[in-house]
Amino acid sequence: MLAIGRRVLSRVDWLLFGATAALLACGLVVLYSAGYDPESKTNLFGLATVDFASAACLKQAVYIAVGLLVMLVGMSIPTQFFFHYSFVFYALSIGMLAAVAGFGVVVNGSRRWLDLGFANLQPAEFAKLALLLTMARRLSRNPPRDGSSYRLTELVVPLALIALPMGLIMQQPDLGTALSLGIVGVSQILFMGVRPRAIVTALVALSVLAYPAWHMLHDYQQRRILVLLDPESDPQGSGYHITQSKIAVGSGELFGKGYREGTQSQLEFLPEHTTDFVFSVWAEEWGFAGSVFLLLLFFGLVSSMLRVTARSRDLFSALVAFGITAQFFAHIVINTGMVIGLMPVVGIPLPLISYGGSAMLSLMFGLGIVQGVSMRRLMFRER
Amino acid sequence: MAGFDRDQVNVQFRIWAAFAISVVCFAVLVGRLWVLQVEQGAVFRDRSENNRLRTVYIPAARGLIVDRNGEVLVRNRPSFNIELVTEDSPNPKETIEELARIVGQDPEELKVRFAKEGRRRRFEPKLILRDVSRDTVAQIAAQQHRLPGVVVSVVPTRDYPFGEMSAHVFGYIREVSGEQLKSPAYSDYLLGDVVGQYGIEAELERYLRGERGTQGVVVNARGNKIAEAYRSAETSGSNITLTIDHRVQLAADAALEGKKGAIVVMDVRSGDILALASAPRFAPALFTSEIPKDAWSALVDPKENKLSNRAVQGAFAPGSVFKIFVAAAALSEGVVTPKEKIWCPGSLKFGKRVFKCHKHSGHGSVNMYEAIVQSCDVYFYTVGQRLGVDRINHYAQQLFGLGELTEVSGRDESKGIIPSTKWKETYFRREEDKKWYPGETLSVAIGQGAVTTTPIQIARSLAAVVNGGRVLKPRLVKRVVASDGRVLLDVPAEPEVLRTVDLDPEVIEQLKAAMVGVVADKRGTGHRAALPEKFNIGVGGKTGTAQVASRESGNKEEDHAWFAGYAPADNPQIVAVALIENGGHGGVAAAPAVRKVLAAYFGVPEEVEPEPKPQSKKRKPKITVAASPRAAGEG
Repeated sequence: MLAIGRRVLSRVDWLLFGATAALLACGLVVLYSAGYDPESKTNLFGLATVDFASAACLKQAVYIAVGLLVMLVGMSIPTQFFFHYSFVFYALSIGMLAAVAGFGVVVNGSRRWLDLGFANLQPAEFAKLALLLTMARRLSRNPPRDGSSYRLTELVVPLALIALPMGLIMQQPDLGTALSLGIVGVSQILFMGVRPRAIVTALVALSVLAYPAWHMLHDYQQRRILVLLDPESDPQGSGYHITQSKIAVGSGELFGKGYREGTQSQLEFLPEHTTDFVFSVWAEEWGFAGSVFLLLLFFGLVSSMLRVTARSRDLFSALVAFGITAQFFAHIVINTGMVIGLMPVVGIPLPLISYGGSAMLSLMFGLGIVQGVSMRRLMFRER
Repeated sequence: MAGFDRDQVNVQFRIWAAFAISVVCFAVLVGRLWVLQVEQGAVFRDRSENNRLRTVYIPAARGLIVDRNGEVLVRNRPSFNIELVTEDSPNPKETIEELARIVGQDPEELKVRFAKEGRRRRFEPKLILRDVSRDTVAQIAAQQHRLPGVVVSVVPTRDYPFGEMSAHVFGYIREVSGEQLKSPAYSDYLLGDVVGQYGIEAELERYLRGERGTQGVVVNARGNKIAEAYRSAETSGSNITLTIDHRVQLAADAALEGKKGAIVVMDVRSGDILALASAPRFAPALFTSEIPKDAWSALVDPKENKLSNRAVQGAFAPGSVFKIFVAAAALSEGVVTPKEKIWCPGSLKFGKRVFKCHKHSGHGSVNMYEAIVQSCDVYFYTVGQRLGVDRINHYAQQLFGLGELTEVSGRDESKGIIPSTKWKETYFRREEDKKWYPGETLSVAIGQGAVTTTPIQIARSLAAVVNGGRVLKPRLVKRVVASDGRVLLDVPAEPEVLRTVDLDPEVIEQLKAAMVGVVADKRGTGHRAALPEKFNIGVGGKTGTAQVASRESGNKEEDHAWFAGYAPADNPQIVAVALIENGGHGGVAAAPAVRKVLAAYFGVPEEVEPEPKPQSKKRKPKITVAASPRAAGEG
């Protein structure tokens, strides 16, 4: 079942793979600069101490190596496996999210992790994939009854499927992940088609619900959204991140300050310059030219994923590929939009660039699934 | 699996729509980047140039050290450090040379110091000069335009209102060393932090240290502060109350002035150390700034050994002071009765050797009382012989705790030696050295030979003799109170009794009577320790005069003088032990020192009697040292 034939392998989407590899390389380059500390010796997961100036870069390289293996695994798993077990994954992820709410590990005021003894698991990452697969199954088995677009009544079950994990993640609280979960689910629904009247009704309902929802947000989240509207109002407090990030990006000018010459980041201006604000570092050091280059790579990545979606063998595969595409797209746009002051600071990392093991593995697995869809596009439909 | 009828759900169209959306989004992002980086780029470049965030650590003030009555002994004062921010100096070398010229120091020395401060980021200030004067600060401020990157920081540093008093007890603080930083014990220290290196400052470092604060300071390209981004306040260190009584300590320090030696004053009821003095002293304040080379060589001069706390680190032959413990052993073991008289002709022939008494003409026939009062050596040679070295060791070490660490200070305490046959067997490696010779027992019996003890041990053991046999743990720290008022450590009033020596009360009374005789008896060796009679405070004690080297070797150095005393004689409150290195006779050199600290403790004027000089008819005027009155029962 896991065997991949040569002909199947030849249908790997090389444009997608090329964009992935180029972005990973850019990630290592910027992390070397952002995490540069000539005084530290890198402790490699407690196994060895390496004399390397950037811990983030070195560890990320290890994550990438593991991520590539995970991508291969994602590629090898047949699409019908995901189809058959999607609801099992969904139930599992809800169970884990509930467990986190019950006895998760609190880090930085949020209860997001499950302590497995040997490692900390972040069930929200798993929930993203589980929801995406479940939605794909539900929607592909229940296409719009009129053959072109859903009525609102048909969407009760899919929306409930989204709302359950989203609510659980929202209360952790992890606004960014909850938001991206919602975006992925809704984009899959939109992919299938929704009547304009239903969309309008939903938007009206949403804005009515927005009022209590606003009050459910945590203070710091409210402040972040408010500060977005007027960042200069609080340059040393909540607006600090946005203001400093904009200074970093803007001061890069056309061609940047030069590699490892970004004062904003090297002087530790940006508190999370290896994770959420890594794009600012890139933009400061490589300028407008470099930023556009990186965005083009991302555009290539998204476009090739859309191409895979368009070519997929069946509706389920298309929905899966599209959901993953939507997830990547949402992360890219929210993160870059955030660091240049177009989006609120919600704490979403930049895919394939930001430092972080869990995100890397989950993204690479997603890319593996998309590659798997691409590889199997010409196979006969199984009965 | 559901079929994938592309036409039915019109998927192709929606993929194109998605593609269009992504094109639009990316276009918006690119447009925004164009505005930020190209159109407004110069503005932001300017802001980034003028805008630096620096993390500044706010050093916490160390805790105060106060004496048992709340008198502040060690406190803090602001000091000025000169630092250089490499990043802001176009040419650090030139800046340092200019700085050296302005403050009048050797530029090479400053450069070396600057280089030693390596391993810092270029925006972090590096320390060049520590604790400079206000004048220097003013000079630098006036020449600021020629010193780019040079900043003056104000940090709390140690201040010693009593100067050198108790320097050995307090110890000193000093910048954390490179080796210390490498050890895990100092993992939360940063380069440039000061840390207690000796004495109480080192032992109670964890209490005294406090917690540094951090401050995010936004500064412009010239290093001037524009704004504060965030701040977490520092927490001052905890305050330490010592058992030291600064009046007694001052008296002890004064008694040692110009001498080498140590004085220990301990409360026999609680084990509280009231004074722990060692001379020569050092100025702990020296360590707060750069130590000039000559001052440093004076500090570490092996002849002076100023940094050594002789009270706990100096192991000296106790001389005749040791006879108290030999007497305790002899009476308890019944090898001699209090009444038995032993003939002292001025020497004792033992084998082929002749052991001399310090009184070469001899004491005649003496009993135990007379032998202690007159410190007859021949008497103790004889009882020592009867006891044997191992019984002496049993009483002096196993019971009274001489030759045993008192643990009054955590490190560098000397143990001393109370010999025994077993000690000799294990101490020496060569077979022929391991054998115990009976003649050695004679030397041990008068506190010579291999016997060495520290002043603090003598104080503790004498306290055990006069307080009913309780060997106490001597203690220096009474209380630790955090800066927010929480009591972190409160030593209970009752003493920590290590063990109780079960001596016959009669034996104790005989010993005490003899020790009172040492001071009060007209033939007593320690009469100079007596307080003026009108105050009615009896003093007991024992003199000791320890040979520095055997007389046969022709060593001309003076003997070490000891006096171990206690008072009041009828209801002992404190013991006071004085050791004067090369002071000569214990009764002459050490007994007056003990009198001085006793007078300070009891708050009585201490009369300095002139040396009796029968040939001179002119009497010296009496000198009265005023001491504040104090209730005799306090302690």
